[in-house]
Amino acid sequence: MSYKQGDALPELVKAPVSRMQLVKYAGASGDFNPIHYDDEAARAGGLEGVIAHGMLSMGFLGQFVETTFGAGSYKRLEVRFQGMVKLGEVITCRGVVTDIAQENGREYAACEIEAVDSDGRVVTAGRAQAWLD
Amino acid sequence: MPLDKSVLERNFPEFDFRVERGKIREYALVLGLNDPVHTDLEAARAAGFEDLLAPPTFVRQFWHENPENDPMPHLGYDPKRRLHGEQEFEYHKPLVAGMNLKGRNAIVSTREKEGRRGGMMTFVVIETRFVDETGELVQVARRTLIETAAPPKEA
Repeated sequence: MSYKQGDALPELVKAPVSRMQLVKYAGASGDFNPIHYDDEAARAGGLEGVIAHGMLSMGFLGQFVETTFGAGSYKRLEVRFQGMVKLGEVITCRGVVTDIAQENGREYAACEIEAVDSDGRVVTAGRAQAWLD
Repeated sequence: MPLDKSVLERNFPEFDFRVERGKIREYALVLGLNDPVHTDLEAARAAGFEDLLAPPTFVRQFWHENPENDPMPHLGYDPKRRLHGEQEFEYHKPLVAGMNLKGRNAIVSTREKEGRRGGMMTFVVIETRFVDETGELVQVARRTLIETAAPPKEA
């Protein structure tokens, strides 16, 4: 599939975020901050309950780039963590192509991307670049 | 607590690690990455990769494996006010299982800004450069760590 400027990318809808996933992500990523799996620790930190690692939603956006442009196509990924993700949230990744450009004779797509929660609130947003060859 | 400026004078040692198949599979499965290039060697090779391909945010686990290699624990931030504000990755060549990488962390920028309700917010960008055995750049990661402004003291 070829993309042009202004194209919306096919959305990626993830399974609801579960505590088991956060425990596994802690192990996979090495981020054992207890606010991501222990409600008491989260409440002590002023939260209502555990929240997902910001990097989990960035991982979903990485998958989104991969499902759109192919594994290994990534050139650059940059995001800002804007909102917290609670347990049970269904994260949807979406984006739009902002430019088709070239570098060293290779074509790439530049996109704006975002992860939104079940209420449509943006939790993580930024830009991605992916090689098109 | 303001930024502990002594951290800016410090050099953080290079660290090395081997990229393992099992760790790639684990990382891909927990995120729900369903492209078999992360989990199935034949699929990875059929797609032109030498071995299982690491997911795009995989190197996250190597930033602060060892506190001696990482500026983060030495910033002097209050853990209750510390946020991972932004994250960036640049990809220079495919990261696959079996590669031996070297990484090095360095602070590349700092700034302060007045918080909306008074007090100062601090922003520090830590860059991690990962090179392969030939010294070729594989990935660059940049994380922005924020210490939010301290709440105003109760009268």
